[in-house]
Amino acid sequence: MDAVDVSEHYEVTSVDSPPSLLSIVIDTNPRAWAALESRLSLSQALSNILVFVNAHLAFSNTNQVAVIAAHVNRAVWLYPTAAAAAAQKPPAAARDHSGDVQMQDVSAETNNSSSSASANKYPQFAQIESSVFSSIQSLMAETTVQDLDQYTTQLSGALTLALCRINKASQALSSSDTTLSNAAPVNSTAPPPVKGRIVVISVSDSEPSQYIPTMNAVFAAAHNQVAIDTIALAGDSTFLQQACFNTNGIFLKASNPQGLLTYLMFGLIPDTEARESIITPAHDTVDFRTACFCHGKVIDTGFVCSVCLSIFCEPPENAECLTCGTVLALGNYGAKPAVLPRKKKKKKKIANGSGREETGSATGTPKP
Amino acid sequence: MSNNPSLHLAEYLERLPGTTFKKLYQQPSTAFAIFRRMLPHLAKTFVMRMLFMPHPMTLNDLDVWVKPEAKRNKDQSLSILRGLHIVQISAPSKEKPQEIQLMSNFKRSLRLALTGGGNHNSFGVPSSLLIPPEIDLQFLDRYARKKWEDVLHFVVSSVGYKSVGDGSGPNKGVKELLIAGRLVDRRPSGGLGITQAGFTFLLQEANAQVWTLLLLWLDVLGNNKGSGLDPVDMLSFLFMLASLELGRAYDTNALTEERRNMLPSLVDFGLIYIPQHKRSMFFPTRLATTLTSGGNSLRTISEGVTAATQSAQASQQSLGPLSGGGEQQSGSVVIETNYRLYAYTQSALQIAVLALFAKLNMRFPDMVAGRLSRASIRQAINFGITADQIISYLAAHAHEQMHRTAALTNKPVLPPTVVDQIRLWQLENERMKTTSGFLFRDFTDDKDYLDTARFSEEIGVLVWRNDHARMFFANKHEQIKDFLKTRKRAE
Repeated sequence: MDAVDVSEHYEVTSVDSPPSLLSIVIDTNPRAWAALESRLSLSQALSNILVFVNAHLAFSNTNQVAVIAAHVNRAVWLYPTAAAAAAQKPPAAARDHSGDVQMQDVSAETNNSSSSASANKYPQFAQIESSVFSSIQSLMAETTVQDLDQYTTQLSGALTLALCRINKASQALSSSDTTLSNAAPVNSTAPPPVKGRIVVISVSDSEPSQYIPTMNAVFAAAHNQVAIDTIALAGDSTFLQQACFNTNGIFLKASNPQGLLTYLMFGLIPDTEARESIITPAHDTVDFRTACFCHGKVIDTGFVCSVCLSIFCEPPENAECLTCGTVLALGNYGAKPAVLPRKKKKKKKIANGSGREETGSATGTPKP
Repeated sequence: MSNNPSLHLAEYLERLPGTTFKKLYQQPSTAFAIFRRMLPHLAKTFVMRMLFMPHPMTLNDLDVWVKPEAKRNKDQSLSILRGLHIVQISAPSKEKPQEIQLMSNFKRSLRLALTGGGNHNSFGVPSSLLIPPEIDLQFLDRYARKKWEDVLHFVVSSVGYKSVGDGSGPNKGVKELLIAGRLVDRRPSGGLGITQAGFTFLLQEANAQVWTLLLLWLDVLGNNKGSGLDPVDMLSFLFMLASLELGRAYDTNALTEERRNMLPSLVDFGLIYIPQHKRSMFFPTRLATTLTSGGNSLRTISEGVTAATQSAQASQQSLGPLSGGGEQQSGSVVIETNYRLYAYTQSALQIAVLALFAKLNMRFPDMVAGRLSRASIRQAINFGITADQIISYLAAHAHEQMHRTAALTNKPVLPPTVVDQIRLWQLENERMKTTSGFLFRDFTDDKDYLDTARFSEEIGVLVWRNDHARMFFANKHEQIKDFLKTRKRAE
């Protein structure tokens, strides 16, 4: 029928671009920042990140941000802070029936008590700045000497917090009227109401023991169409490379950390909408190594359970999978391969110029 | 005549000369507001990328940033950036490639806006006085709504529908402004009648209405030299208002004399509130603080979140029906494929507007129902309302549920059958559509013609072309003129 109908059709679609929520995860590992101190101190980095946050908020007044610190032993909200909400209401009301803490966002309600604003700054920017600085100060004050025994960072927790925030925001938008929304069929191809994005500022190595929680967060992000972008100022962030690859995010390795602002403003400013038309910096190589389930070592090659796909760096005890308990047959693993004398082949004359010999395994390793 | 809210403002800004922009961009809040409000998404990304670049970059580099399929999008963004005097592109010459950079004024101001600092006071000086306890967000919202509905009632009631509004109507100054702006005009009989521009105004969404009125006001004052007000300064004051914070009191003494003189008019429009007893402080209302948000000021998405969280809290604390943010319900019209129309509203104003083009036959305590028919649309067209206006009104006021279903099923917000039919009803006696613009013809050779036509298509001003006769028609000519000039110079 469409072929017959040549008349012009008018379609009215809603033109408002959905708001974009940027969650920034800052790796606040004190050791790593101490090592970076000569080139970029944490406070300098924070001011650069705040300019980036302001730039994101400048795009639209519906845009939102969240800033999370991934510390050595926990993940902490820097903005929005739960404390601000709890201070206004009695503690019982601060948590709703699902146990969630009501977060305070500056765009939502404004408290008149904070009168420290200057006339030279956009009020929202000033509030975020003071919130981030005060929470990071209290975070650093609470850090004890024992905490410093940890070398790495609780990245997976911070990623999960960021995802929860994005999910909560999109639910709040899509079902502001819950009685009606239940009737509508959910179409999985529809774009999400919020364009979520996570930017990780990483300074330390990936912790192998966090492989599974991190990857779970990554797959959840990929499923929700949330891109994870990473800027690695130092350290070897294997898992974050995979995270960016899996979620179509950008991975930047900053060789000059003092230029953090330029990296952020140039490489990471395009959000998921702008990426439809802008060529993003590509990551040439991705470190696909994984951590084994038995010892948490990062390995190149290992053993995979044929039932549950768990990965081991060496054959488990009694050839029994540690995850699902299946008894695995190792075949003749460890036996020395018999060396056969090579057959003498007559040299084939190649007619059409392709000099490549058939090797039997021309296909590459399948991608995850 | 356009249904895009930013177009009116865009047209106004486009008419301003470059020196005016230089002055406007002196103030960081203006640069910030224009960035936020006037630019398409891709242009914003360009600006942000170039903001901290020390040197100009070549145009070729910019081409490399963008995927080939988005070239058209990029050209349009660049053309808007040039039109608003945000970027500067050097003239093409043989020895040097064309370079692009941000205007230094704009760059400095936007940097200041993002990083803070400086001593420009352009984000408003907060008042140090004690805020009267009765002034909260709900109060300000109610106040702004009342003021604005008064204005709209005044326009609607001139159609002849009895307005049930309790208000005494807007201030005299506002009435004269509406008459001066030809939104309503005096009829020989002595009464007031609505004009076609008035219908356009009425059917716009709130944010666009505010801008229309403000621009009218600027025009009127600008023509009146005796007022001593500088339109440029007024415009930057409006942009400054947009960056203030809702619910906070600001100090009037920190404003210049001219800006203080503007305050009474802004009070009449409902953009700001000045308490009776404390004349030295003013509160911006939601109408003012959402001036730079795209879309509808009363149905922005962040407010959707607010309303949602508020209703959650309200139900939890069993406070009954929520007051405040949720009260401002403007997204309330449901239209079905069978032309039936339901509006969840109690507002006499909205019912009166709907009655302009729909046959309403049932009224319930919080809802009216009716249908669109050929007769009702024809009647509206006789009033001078166009189909585009009706459609954009319906789209702007579509119910939350319409938006949600549309988003979930990837379908348009309004049913296409209804939209098509409204247009067809209009076409029954209107077979022509006029576009004002410029005809380009008599090109010297084919290549000349093809290049120019392609250029105008890329910047999105081409309306019609005939390759055979080497003619094309464009609705704007400034950039084509520049293009032809640079071509001539390059030869």
